[in-house]
Amino acid sequence: MIEKMNDALAFLREKYGFADGYIEKDARNYFLVLPGEKRVQLLFWRAERRFIELKKIIEDGTLERVSTFRFAHFSGKKSMEELLFTELDILRYFSGSTVESIFAVMTGNAVCNLIVRLANGMSCTVECGVKLPPEKDDIDRHEIIAGRGTASDRMVDTQVPQSSMYLWTENGEKRFTDVDMELFGLPDEAVFVVRSACMLLGNPELVQDWEKDAIMAENAVRAALESSSSSQIVFTGKRESEI
Amino acid sequence: MKPVKIAMMGMNHGHTRKYYQTLRENKKLQWVASCAEDEKAKEVYELYKNGVPCYLDPEEMLADHPDIEAVVIASANDRHYGQMKFCAERGIHILSMKIPTFDLEEYDRMIEMVDRAKIVCQVELEMHYNPVVQRLKEVIASGELGKILSIQATNITLSPVWAFPWQGVPEASYGKRVPLKDGDSRFRGGALCDHPHIFDMVRWLTGAEFEYVFAQTAPNLREDLVVEDMLAAVGKMTDGTSFLFDPSWSRMEERIPVPGPGWEVFPKRMEVNFTITGEKGMLQCDCFGPNVFHNGAPNDRLTVQYTYFDEWIGLIDEFVDCIRNNKQPKINLKWHRHTIECMNACYRSIARNQCVRV
Repeated sequence: MIEKMNDALAFLREKYGFADGYIEKDARNYFLVLPGEKRVQLLFWRAERRFIELKKIIEDGTLERVSTFRFAHFSGKKSMEELLFTELDILRYFSGSTVESIFAVMTGNAVCNLIVRLANGMSCTVECGVKLPPEKDDIDRHEIIAGRGTASDRMVDTQVPQSSMYLWTENGEKRFTDVDMELFGLPDEAVFVVRSACMLLGNPELVQDWEKDAIMAENAVRAALESSSSSQIVFTGKRESEI
Repeated sequence: MKPVKIAMMGMNHGHTRKYYQTLRENKKLQWVASCAEDEKAKEVYELYKNGVPCYLDPEEMLADHPDIEAVVIASANDRHYGQMKFCAERGIHILSMKIPTFDLEEYDRMIEMVDRAKIVCQVELEMHYNPVVQRLKEVIASGELGKILSIQATNITLSPVWAFPWQGVPEASYGKRVPLKDGDSRFRGGALCDHPHIFDMVRWLTGAEFEYVFAQTAPNLREDLVVEDMLAAVGKMTDGTSFLFDPSWSRMEERIPVPGPGWEVFPKRMEVNFTITGEKGMLQCDCFGPNVFHNGAPNDRLTVQYTYFDEWIGLIDEFVDCIRNNKQPKINLKWHRHTIECMNACYRSIARNQCVRV
């Protein structure tokens, strides 16, 4: 898959005149490798259009006086640490704020419920679980509640993600959600990884921000695990100021 | 590859603004100029700050930019013939809006002049560059559904007439003032003229042509419009596939002069959905979903914020490829003529209140 992703990246680099770079993966994360072998972790969910649009809704004044983020993410494929890292980074991406404190309650490593306070005063709850059957696609939800308006990636009266296409034959049900014509045929995650690499190649000034944000998300995950172990609120302010 | 020097003309078609990002970003192009139909279109164009000079006279635009190779004709339907002629006489490639003309004699003259000038003329049917449609084509072609028995499709939107007034003027939209039927005060030129996509797509998906169609209008939602805003069409393809289409302006809108946030009253301003039944099963798809939602500014009501892939990227890629590599676009004038014939047949059916062979 990495080879296909790099082929796709090369296609887009050539088409749009982006600088050199290629994608690498370790056991858990994807990286963009820039000239000089500089590696930047790809926060690839940031290239998902739903998150780009939600961020826009927050930033362009469609919502006013954001109060609370309500996130949920359940998976049968990813670890708890991966889910927490993703969701806490989405929180950073949407809010533009650092985390001030976290209180987390976990049951084993199967579920984790968090309440987060951001440095800008906003609040966030995150529900995570890893007990979906492995063959099932992740279920997630991102709701932003503001003094003026609420935004969400899940439609009112729906509990689970919808698809663009549903196909029913004697072989059962199939669902498809194709989101990218230029990268048609790549799985969703691969599309987002390639697009996130393009975001950095097209906007090199983001590289430093993403490096810092990856460290912040890692710190926030550690704080969540620490809070759950100690049943104490963990303040992360000092750690953030050291980044 | 040398970038294609491209211009836009008209600037008062509803799709005009959809081109801006692609024309700016695609390295295979160099967007050198625009030419607005009138001062009002120029004023709206300038709101978008594209950094590309805008003229009011096409001759002046060409005098300043004699190296223009291609033009996107983004104007009212009744202006297309003259603008195509202008381009064809100068050997300039054409990207036409979705309705070149409803007048089939004029249409044939368009084909003739494009052929004579040996230029590319691509018709803008952007659904072909939508990834959900691409999946739809692949699923159908795979045979997983078996022979198609029926296609139901919606192509329903708000009405753009308040921002693009020509779409409510029969002469500008349909080409002439033709009453819908005896005793009806409305004229051809409304919602049907805005929605050719599903008529085109059923031909692609089945590989068949239209056999007959029956169409019917409903009372207008917008009583002050002189063109139809609500209608449905039902019929059969030559391979036996039956179809039911809804190409209405059934979603209400705020009457704002420039499209923008808060335009829609119904949460989703545009929908193209298909339900397809085959011998081995069925499918349903939403070509513009799922999305994200909010009820914030400006109107504090539930609103779909779209997340679909920009279809104009693929559309322009194909156009450039056809120009540089001397290819025929998949949606060319000759192909599209049968789609226009069926849309005309819908109007005849409405007039006669009976089924019409296409």
